[in-house]
Amino acid sequence: MDMSIIEMLREALHKVSGFIYPNELELQWSVLIVLYPYITGLVAGAFVLASLERVFDVKAIKPIYRLSLLVALAFLLIAPLPLNVHLGHPERGFEIFLTPHTSSAMAMFGFVYLWYLMVVLLMEVWLDYRKEIVEWSRTETFWPKRLFYKALTLGVDNISPRSLEIDDKIGRILTVVGLPSALLLHGYVGFIFGSIKANPWWSTPLMPVIFIFSAMASGIAGVMLVYMLMCWVRNVKIDMPCLDTIGKFLLTAIIVAFSLEMLESIQTIYEAEEHFDIISLLVEGKLFVSMILIQIIMGSLTPIFLLGLVQMVELSEKARKFFYALSGVLCLIGILAMRWNVVIGGQFFSKSFLGFTTYKMEFAGREGLLSAIVVAILPLLILAALLYLLPPWPKKEEKAASV
Amino acid sequence: MKDVQHLLRVAVIFIAAFAGFLFVRNLLVPESFGKLGHYRADSVDEFAAQPRHYAGEPACKKCHAQQASDKAKSSHKGISCESCHGALLAHAENPKSADNKPRKPKEAEVRAFCGHCHAKSLSRPARFPQIDVTAHNPDAPCSMCHQPHQPK
Amino acid sequence: MKNFSRKDFLKTAAGAAFLMATRAFSSPVQAAEKFFREPPWKRKKPYYGYAVDTTKCIGCARCVEACKTENDVPREKFYFRTWVERYILRRSGEVNVDSPNGGLDGYLPPADPETVTKSFFVPKLCNHCEHSPCVQVCPVGATFLTEDGVVLVDKKYCIGCRYCIQACPYGSRFFNPVTHTADKCTLCYHRIKKGLKPACVEVCPTGTRMFGDLSDPKSAITKFYETENVMVLKPHMGTGAKVVYKGLDKEVR
Repeated sequence: MDMSIIEMLREALHKVSGFIYPNELELQWSVLIVLYPYITGLVAGAFVLASLERVFDVKAIKPIYRLSLLVALAFLLIAPLPLNVHLGHPERGFEIFLTPHTSSAMAMFGFVYLWYLMVVLLMEVWLDYRKEIVEWSRTETFWPKRLFYKALTLGVDNISPRSLEIDDKIGRILTVVGLPSALLLHGYVGFIFGSIKANPWWSTPLMPVIFIFSAMASGIAGVMLVYMLMCWVRNVKIDMPCLDTIGKFLLTAIIVAFSLEMLESIQTIYEAEEHFDIISLLVEGKLFVSMILIQIIMGSLTPIFLLGLVQMVELSEKARKFFYALSGVLCLIGILAMRWNVVIGGQFFSKSFLGFTTYKMEFAGREGLLSAIVVAILPLLILAALLYLLPPWPKKEEKAASV
Repeated sequence: MKDVQHLLRVAVIFIAAFAGFLFVRNLLVPESFGKLGHYRADSVDEFAAQPRHYAGEPACKKCHAQQASDKAKSSHKGISCESCHGALLAHAENPKSADNKPRKPKEAEVRAFCGHCHAKSLSRPARFPQIDVTAHNPDAPCSMCHQPHQPK
Repeated sequence: MKNFSRKDFLKTAAGAAFLMATRAFSSPVQAAEKFFREPPWKRKKPYYGYAVDTTKCIGCARCVEACKTENDVPREKFYFRTWVERYILRRSGEVNVDSPNGGLDGYLPPADPETVTKSFFVPKLCNHCEHSPCVQVCPVGATFLTEDGVVLVDKKYCIGCRYCIQACPYGSRFFNPVTHTADKCTLCYHRIKKGLKPACVEVCPTGTRMFGDLSDPKSAITKFYETENVMVLKPHMGTGAKVVYKGLDKEVR
């Protein structure tokens, strides 16, 4: 028995307001479970951005096509980590693959994740990079890197035009299949919450859709910021038509996500079911800062205003870059807040609808803030490694940078 | 053929990984899983084999026949012995042992003990026998007038 | 090239939509079948049921004590397989509910007793639902409905994801800090299989809690189900809760 948790709960007992079922004192899903939909959301969003170029032929964003794939991959590799760490028995986590319960969204998610990782994302990155991988396996001087490339070639160094043509065709099919797969990946996470009829804050058919669109916003914002940052680091000029196009897509995604969330709220207020009173208290009280201020005003309305302004008024390149960067950061924070409001917010109020419990996030410990920070940073480290091993920048930019 | 060689290698890797997964799965899934439903059937037997702490009323009658028959004629007839005297399986299996003696309130504790059920409360059903503990003979233990096994 | 990829995408999407539509059509047909089925206790012997007569509960919490002792439930104030709630309804319409340490700590007399119109106790426990949402969401098959009607948690198989705890509308489940698995009332499966009563039923002094075999048409529990005006908690959720309550007030959550 972990006495630190027991101590924390003993203290929490005094901070309960109203009535809660005795078992509801302890929050079951912690900050790690807030991170997990955030991370899969970034994956889905980054992949959608890549698909826009491949499937819908939005040529303007070609410069960030590979970067989007790498961002998606970096975050996808980390996605199961917060889940597994949070389990009561992490060593039994593989049981989800051995005996998945087909009625459980969580179980099926395991397979959707595997499918998406192996068949879609890894294959697509590999096929897109294969020509360079073979070339680098021949020319790379640093031997561990060369060995890595050699392994990735799977022992085949055929990069004839015909083989590359086949690669391109398969890659295109994968992207077409990958788009609904990415939506399924994150839609499933939304469904994991949305299908819980016991919790009225979560239970809504709109949940998968809300999650998908806010994921797209966060993913697009994430890739955009990484692109801007990497251009600054590499001292390379930002492709403004590309950035402007991303900005347009970001605005669209935020508007749709926000509209869906507002639709949900308006319907809740209008129908005023049994749970309405406790939910109003939740939003006005415990979630006022994280929801009204951070998620809605700072994370949705402000970026909509800033990005909308860019669309309507002629602004200099410098001003646009500033607005994009600011909107991107606010959007990322706002969507993290949205995940917090859904996951933690949904556990604050009692299912008796008569009271609230509290959440004290510990700093150390398996499910503490430190753990969450490590989980949040790891994908960035992996991304850095991927950018080093599989640089996504076009050849001519590389030459320009080195000059 | 040469132009799809790399794809064939990928296919081989996938097939090998899938076969490996099936093999590992066969080793790791518990024997009894799936026999009765999507769960480990042995678990049901494990539950049934869990150790008990309460004996159940019939176990007390064997040695305490007098108290049992007194109680059966009284208004406490619906109350199981262990309700007041605590978990008694250990005592029933080893009556001579000093370790598992049945709970019996000392004289000073009797009023609180009986009051636990019989103290007047507006949440209790009106027809349930309850008294104001501070007004009803506050200095005397209840057992002075009310025999617990035959309270009347 | 441009047209090819868009057509490709539309074809894939149409195929997926068709598949989903056919599933959507067949599910209501399956559901209609279920609707007319007789309850499981008509088909299986034994099939356990449980009933609570709230008009008799005196809030002594002997049941809570017995359950914790019988099942080695952690003694802390936040882990319960069963508990007793007290409701205080006032003339103003205000409702006060409390369950101090599940009822084990006793209940303080209410403030302003003159304003109280109704007050009563309601024991709570796992409802061993027929269509239990907790079983539905378990990702690995660690929680399940047995053939005799009891919902159990396999603590050797549970991975501790806590999804079932989230899915239970009644707050019946908790995360056991010792086993690191989900935990809840087992209807004292180890007792009932030997013909004994669950510990809570055993020690209840007023006959508030009742237990028996629903498949036996002559049992007291079957008579209770069939003759008394009973209700289940949160019927709108469609959980198929098997614990029936007599005398359930509209304010009970």
